Amino acid sequence: MTEIEKKKKRDKIKFTTISVISLCVFFGVWYVATAVMHLMPDYSLPSPVQVVEAFFYKLGNKAPDGGTLFQHIAASLKVALTGYLLGAVIGIPLGICMAWFRRIDLFVTPLFDLVRPVPTIAWIPLMILWFGIGLGAKAAIIFVSAFIPCVINSYAGIKQTRPVHLWVAQTFGASRTKMLFTVAIPTAMPLIFTGLRISLQAAWTTLCAAEMLAANKGLGYMIQLNRSLARADLIIVGMLTIGLIGTIFSVVLGKMEKKMVRGGSKS
Amino acid sequence: MKHMNEKMEKTLYAVLAIASFFLAWELLTAFTPAGETTPGPVEVLRLLFTSFFEPIGKFTIYGHLYYSIRRVLVGYVVATVLGIIVGIAMGTSRYAEAIIKPLFELIRPIPPIAWIPLVILWFGVGELPKYTIIFIGSFTNVTLNAYTGAQRVDPQLIGCAKMLGTSDRDIFLRVILPSSLPQIFAGMQVALSTAWMAVLAAEMIGAQEGCGWIILRGSDTTNIPLVLVGMVVIGVVGLLLATIMRIAERRLCAWNRMDV
Repeated sequence: MTEIEKKKKRDKIKFTTISVISLCVFFGVWYVATAVMHLMPDYSLPSPVQVVEAFFYKLGNKAPDGGTLFQHIAASLKVALTGYLLGAVIGIPLGICMAWFRRIDLFVTPLFDLVRPVPTIAWIPLMILWFGIGLGAKAAIIFVSAFIPCVINSYAGIKQTRPVHLWVAQTFGASRTKMLFTVAIPTAMPLIFTGLRISLQAAWTTLCAAEMLAANKGLGYMIQLNRSLARADLIIVGMLTIGLIGTIFSVVLGKMEKKMVRGGSKS
Repeated sequence: MKHMNEKMEKTLYAVLAIASFFLAWELLTAFTPAGETTPGPVEVLRLLFTSFFEPIGKFTIYGHLYYSIRRVLVGYVVATVLGIIVGIAMGTSRYAEAIIKPLFELIRPIPPIAWIPLVILWFGVGELPKYTIIFIGSFTNVTLNAYTGAQRVDPQLIGCAKMLGTSDRDIFLRVILPSSLPQIFAGMQVALSTAWMAVLAAEMIGAQEGCGWIILRGSDTTNIPLVLVGMVVIGVVGLLLATIMRIAERRLCAWNRMDV
């Protein structure tokens, strides 16, 4: 047994080393290709050192895009969370109602299916027309992108409730409302959380697009503006920040899910 | 008999819902101030109809569709092939996993749309940047799914095949590939809708043709019916792509249905 454990430990060390070497090689090649050999001009691919410098520069300086990194992050977060929370707060109950009440299912589902295939990005011009280019339009676009996965997943979650469980509840004299809250919604919880996670990613992606098309602050705006200024170092800083915040979001939601969902579906 | 009635009821409600939606839309735009900014469904349908033979910009709707779909297909096919190879390599070999995974995890969280500025800076405004963006959008999804699919292959199956003297090549082709296929297909479906979204974004930010360009053109010239026509066309194509993938999945992964 100890022999196997030892081998496992050795393997782990070996493969971690390989991973570290792989990352080092990647950054090494990048550095040599840009800073030493100058294969690509600085304005299109800066060296990793320049990117790090740009990051520290951007922490405190507003130039050239009119905001420090934190101001851009704050602007993006404000829009994203407003739209996302609205989408979740309206989307989840709607999905639950659609799945639980037959009439609503019959009437609303066809309408929902009519709107669903249009990618959120295609809504951007219309939303700008309706709500102007302020917080409203962007929040509305994020709302659409978050709303749709929330509805789909809570709908599917409620629909997968086993009839047997409902029959048991019925036999013991539970009212329909009670059945919804004690049987169907707990069954749906894992899928509702999947929906929340998917829609958070969707919201964050859509936000970039919305800010690239119409904004004067935010991470999407920052990378778009720096393209026209040919500041690739700041673009890469923006991209990495977007990726990092996206990761933080999914980690936080994963933690919340572990706390709030008991059991969980196997599928 | 009851089944028949249920189906009829469903259709009836669907027709009713959609009819009342369009009626409400038409009435709202005809009799309220909303009509000043938003066109009614009749106007949109008329423009949709004429756009099949009257060009918008350089092309009719067919030309724009051709460009958008070609971009999606080129980027998507390359990404799928590469993604499956990389994903399965990561799922089957611990060396490949150790080398590729950290790099992949570095790039994966960045949404494809955030690549647009950098890619335009690198490749200009031709077709190549669009292919690249769509490639990035599809590649991460396919790779991730191929990776988990290959990882989840039942080790008993592989052990069994090994015990019966199957060669490594056959184990790969007949055990690992088929059992990760459903997962790969799930990834390909997600990737296709991501690709369709990415092409719109790419076309809205720098293009002269394509479905995304139609919407942007509509909003730049405050031609709102054109925006809505673009949205309708995009929605229909998106739906068609998803349906084709679903049918292909049903054909190719027929065994997957049985244990559901």
